[in-house]
Amino acid sequence: MTLESEVQSLRQVPMFRDIDPARLKLLAFTSERVQYSGGQRFFSQGDASDAAYLILDGSAHVLLDTPGGEIKVAELGGNALVGEMGILSESPRSATIMAAEQTTALRIDKRVFLELLAQFPQIALAVMRELADRLERTNAQLVAQAKS
Amino acid sequence: MDKSLFRYIWTHSKRDQLLVCGVVLASQPFYFMSLDLPRQIVNEAIQGQAFKDGQMTAPFLRMVYQLPSWLGGATLNIFEGFQVGRIGLLVGLSCLFLVFVLINGAFKYWINVAKGALGERMLRRMRFSLFSMVLRFTPEALRTVKSSETATIIKDEVEPIGGFIGDAFITPVFLGFQAITALVFIMVQNVWLGLMAVAMIAVQFTVIPRLRRELLKLGRQRQLASRELAGRIAEVLDGIEVVHVHNAQRWEQAEIGHRLFGLFDIRLKIYNRKFMVKFLNNLLAQMTPFLFYVVGGFFALRGTLDIGQLVAVINAYRELPPPLKELIDWDQQRLDVQVKYDQVVQHFAPERLIPLNEMERAVEDAPLTGPLTAEGINVADPHGGTIIDNASFSATLPARIGLISDGTAAASSLARIIAGRLPSFTGQIRIGERDLTRLPVGIIGRRMAYAGTDPTLFPGSIRDNLVYGLRAAPAGSDADADREEERRISEAKRTGNPVESIGNDWIDYRSVGASDARELDGIFIGLLDRIGLSNDLYRFGLAGRPDLESEPELAERLIEARRRLFEAFQADGMKDLVEHFDARRYNNQATIAENLLFGVPVADDFVGRNLSENKYFRSALDRAGLVEELTDMGLQIAETMTEIFEGIPPGHPLFQQFSFIGADELDDFEAILRRNASGGRTHEDGIRLLSLPLAYIETRHRLGLLDDNFKVRLVRARGIVRQTLEALNGPTVEFYDPDRICPPAPLRDNLLFGRISYNVANAQNRVAEAVSNVLRDLGLVEDVQRIGLGYQVGTAGRLLDTQQRASINLVRCLVKKPDILIVDGALAPFDETRVQALIGLLIEMVEDRSLFMVLSNETQAKGFDIRMRFRRGQVTTEESERSSDKAKAPADDAELAGEVA
Repeated sequence: MTLESEVQSLRQVPMFRDIDPARLKLLAFTSERVQYSGGQRFFSQGDASDAAYLILDGSAHVLLDTPGGEIKVAELGGNALVGEMGILSESPRSATIMAAEQTTALRIDKRVFLELLAQFPQIALAVMRELADRLERTNAQLVAQAKS
Repeated sequence: MDKSLFRYIWTHSKRDQLLVCGVVLASQPFYFMSLDLPRQIVNEAIQGQAFKDGQMTAPFLRMVYQLPSWLGGATLNIFEGFQVGRIGLLVGLSCLFLVFVLINGAFKYWINVAKGALGERMLRRMRFSLFSMVLRFTPEALRTVKSSETATIIKDEVEPIGGFIGDAFITPVFLGFQAITALVFIMVQNVWLGLMAVAMIAVQFTVIPRLRRELLKLGRQRQLASRELAGRIAEVLDGIEVVHVHNAQRWEQAEIGHRLFGLFDIRLKIYNRKFMVKFLNNLLAQMTPFLFYVVGGFFALRGTLDIGQLVAVINAYRELPPPLKELIDWDQQRLDVQVKYDQVVQHFAPERLIPLNEMERAVEDAPLTGPLTAEGINVADPHGGTIIDNASFSATLPARIGLISDGTAAASSLARIIAGRLPSFTGQIRIGERDLTRLPVGIIGRRMAYAGTDPTLFPGSIRDNLVYGLRAAPAGSDADADREEERRISEAKRTGNPVESIGNDWIDYRSVGASDARELDGIFIGLLDRIGLSNDLYRFGLAGRPDLESEPELAERLIEARRRLFEAFQADGMKDLVEHFDARRYNNQATIAENLLFGVPVADDFVGRNLSENKYFRSALDRAGLVEELTDMGLQIAETMTEIFEGIPPGHPLFQQFSFIGADELDDFEAILRRNASGGRTHEDGIRLLSLPLAYIETRHRLGLLDDNFKVRLVRARGIVRQTLEALNGPTVEFYDPDRICPPAPLRDNLLFGRISYNVANAQNRVAEAVSNVLRDLGLVEDVQRIGLGYQVGTAGRLLDTQQRASINLVRCLVKKPDILIVDGALAPFDETRVQALIGLLIEMVEDRSLFMVLSNETQAKGFDIRMRFRRGQVTTEESERSSDKAKAPADDAELAGEVA
């Protein structure tokens, strides 16, 4: 796998869909590609948020700490972006991510990501758009819940 | 230093001055002979005056002298000379001329060298005594003395003084001698004309110095202004962060610009006046011939002076101006240098220095224990406010005393008084019969240690800094002093410099309970460990380079560790963590350059960008047939980099962190790409393109430039590179060998003998753990830490963080086992829990010696024997119940410290 394939994966993420190829290349180039073996954690709930991860290959579980132990709440597959909210809001990790199998991910460093946001309004706008979309969806869900 | 420059020069160099003067005088007859010979050659040999009466031969080298009649008129016949013909005389005289030229040249050479050496020796002496005075500045003076100004004085301002010293006495003697001869000659011809010349010279010598007085004032101003400029530049540089933070660049520029104008203005005034003086000087010099013509001509017309005499006088007068002019120049230089010297002496005025007798080593040197009594201590701040008001207290040393601060400077001031660092207070403080303020510096340095807020570290290794407190005197000179060393010592004696060599072992091992350097290292490591720096030291060690020359057996143990690590990494789940160096395989975690060299460069020509310019390396690549493809890779890298880094401003952190190409080079590479596209690529372009792939790591940069086939070819090229480099003389590259340590590589690389994978998550930490396990098993941790002691701390310790600096400062104080350790704010960089732990530790570590510690609150004071409280300038002491028992049973210390920690 090369930078080009990583750029292809980034393009699949809604947040990055409309960004210039050159910028995506920069994002990929300044990130690290890391391999996790099955059961290895990307990060644990409560850790400081220092990076976002894009799963390139393999899959990962999303785990939540509960009084009754960790429970799996979701499964992440290829091209899933995880941990991006934490690096934007500076809040600690809200869940644990654990590789389900041999998994390759692109680790986007928080500092580098914020530098890129500050440098390129286009990326910042794309992120805002994505966040606004998500908010809208949440609102819609709330409305739906209220109705039911 | 002597107030008068001339007295200073004369006291320290009269022997040399007289010697050079003597040689100058001895050289004069030869000089005059060589002036006279051309006349003889023309008159006697060429025009043939020696052969005028039809003689076919004339005597050559005839030495026959007629004594004057009042001595009896006898003829002194030393040598009748050779009878030679005209050609013979011509050749003989010419050769004689050549001989005199050589003799004169030799004299001149010797005199110049002697004068130069004389000047340099005096300069050395002067600089050294100035530096010695720097060490004697009083704490008050140090508040106003700027370091950069002092450095400028010692380095630059005394330089012209040194240049002048060689001429200080010789020039006036010599020139004066010449001038007086000419003057006497004129007097002999005609007394009146002679007196006239004397009068004019007298005018010259009285008017000109008066005019120069202003010049001197300006010179003084100029010197102060330029010294301040140097000081100001250093200030700005030291505070450059503040300048940037507050955007004060323009103001600082304006400020410096203003100073430069001031300097320019002074300089201009100096020029105006200087050339005015020169003009007047020339005018006066020309006045005399004018008078000679008028007055002498008048006498001649009247018939009281014959024409021949007048012409002779005027001729003699021609001889007078050059020495006079030089004499005046010398005088100018003298004044100039005198001003400089006065300024220098003023900077080091006696009132700013600690008197010499206090600096000298004291005879009496007993431990600082016994009753400590302080009476009527008063300390005021610089504005007259009271800090400590008539405080008295007593305590019996050794004791652990906590000075609990009330938030004012009182506790710290008292700590500084005890440490002898605050001279401006009134009152008495003594230990037993000894007045603390009168303790000689040597004793204070040996028996006390003061750790303040701002630890000063010197550039060098951690070890150098720790050893600093143990370097009071050299342990003894080398027995086998060679000739060079003897010369150094004799020069040192001649110039009042120290004869001790820094090559000797200055470290007082016994005073700290060590027998050699290795044991001392052990003590350092132990102390640093207790103070909580062992992890840092370990990390420094892994990044450091093992010193195999002093510890050859270490190599074997490191190789053993390497082998064990290799085995450890074969275990399941660890396989991918490290990619080992293998002579037959491409290492994906290393750069192409590393893969090609398969070693670590030891010469700068093989490091980084230099490698692509290195002709030997390049020829090896040529032979391996790789240049074309690598350059193509360079093109691809350049294309990608220019594409993705476009639009990022220069100096952006992303550039520094990730790009192959510096921000300032981006345009260059764009130009190279354009040239390449149009087919006009130059040889230099090729070199620059080649440099890019050399830094490329496939797994890290992921540009997909390397396929397996090319990797195989790169591995094959290793042999060619190695062959080429091994054929060269001198150091090039230290090649990797699984059974040998590679000295220029960091210890970490030597242990792993490979590179940590970029791709495996958390690889760094897992590898570090494995390394640490193996090192612990093999008992190598202390050796690693010992290598860590060699870590360079950088200017003022900037390569360390504040906690590391503070820790090293404390260990530096602890290691010399002072009778009294004073800790005043040295723990400031640590948080409260660490401070509590460190206080307990310090109390434990001082054992049966004294500790004075400034504390910020009551809770910190638990473990101290005596608590000293400060309130409104008053001091109260409270002795804890334990202190009396503890003096008897020091074993309690550990228990106590345990409680505190």
